[in-house]
Amino acid sequence: MDFSIRAANVEDCKDIARMITELAEYEKVTDQVKITQRDLEQDGFSKNPFFHGIIAEVPEQHKSKEGDGKTPTRYSTRQMQVFGCETAVASDKKWLYLCFLGKGIGKALMSKVAQLGLAAGCHQLNFTVLDWNKSSVDFYLHQGCTDVTTDMGYHYMSCKGEAMEHLAQP
Amino acid sequence: MDFKIRPARKEDCKDVSRMIMDLAVFENVADQVKISHEELERDGFCQNPLFECLIAEVPEEHKSKDGFTVVGYALYFYTYSTWKGRSVYLEDLYVMPEFRGNGIGKGLLSKVAEIGKEKQCVRLQLSVLDWNTVAREFYATRGALDLTETEGRHLLRFEQLNMDKLAKGASKERSFD
Repeated sequence: MDFSIRAANVEDCKDIARMITELAEYEKVTDQVKITQRDLEQDGFSKNPFFHGIIAEVPEQHKSKEGDGKTPTRYSTRQMQVFGCETAVASDKKWLYLCFLGKGIGKALMSKVAQLGLAAGCHQLNFTVLDWNKSSVDFYLHQGCTDVTTDMGYHYMSCKGEAMEHLAQP
Repeated sequence: MDFKIRPARKEDCKDVSRMIMDLAVFENVADQVKISHEELERDGFCQNPLFECLIAEVPEEHKSKDGFTVVGYALYFYTYSTWKGRSVYLEDLYVMPEFRGNGIGKGLLSKVAEIGKEKQCVRLQLSVLDWNTVAREFYATRGALDLTETEGRHLLRFEQLNMDKLAKGASKERSFD
């Protein structure tokens, strides 16, 4: 199947917001999605963006069954980070429509993120995955990554809401 | 004990590099540290810095037994959650052992949270080694949730060699951009 990978632009934020919601539905956490299309536009396409995005697109004749007239897209978000004393790239989310699985698109997106990261001088690509999401875990391990939680014992911790408010007080 | 927390300056990078190595030695991964103060200077003090850093400093009369007045640091950067938006990631938090127990670690952590809040971040995230019970308790008592335990979140990583292999796949795909 023919597909292309390109940098996301501000007009893609509507599609990206839609797919973020779909991914959250799949992960059973829809109530946790707080950001909107507007947030993505502001945070990803301002002078000092918080993230970058790449899009996978198929030609009109291969569009999804959803039939809203738009060419469906996939995306992956990434940010530049310093991690483990080395410059690294972290990838937040990747989402594929079921009908487009098995076409090499996921692999192409990951490869592009790695390529962009290396071009920017990064030495690591880090991200997280839920352990029950077996198809994702298998996909990533098959691509050559290591599970740093299992192998080295790293636990991922988060401070949010009231806890973060409380912490921010001197 | 009197101490001050302030943003790191370029000239602090030698001290930060010293303490990065101390932390790596403690975590038994000293051989994994590949960067020196030069990379910190380049990456933290350019036009679009890849990280920010806070320093904890004591007055001259309280300097360490080796003569250092820079006794702790917190290195962090901004990330993005497609669910919640702006986040801050705390990469390192370290206080020299002889200065612990004086509220310096708490001071550094609070300042990172305060700065994150000013930038409208809604989360502060970090990772900690499972055997580092002192650190785990330090963060847990201040409200951090262990997402590995509560929701099965695993940290995955492509190291340089595998990242190279992954990237080589990109040029073979039919793409235009």
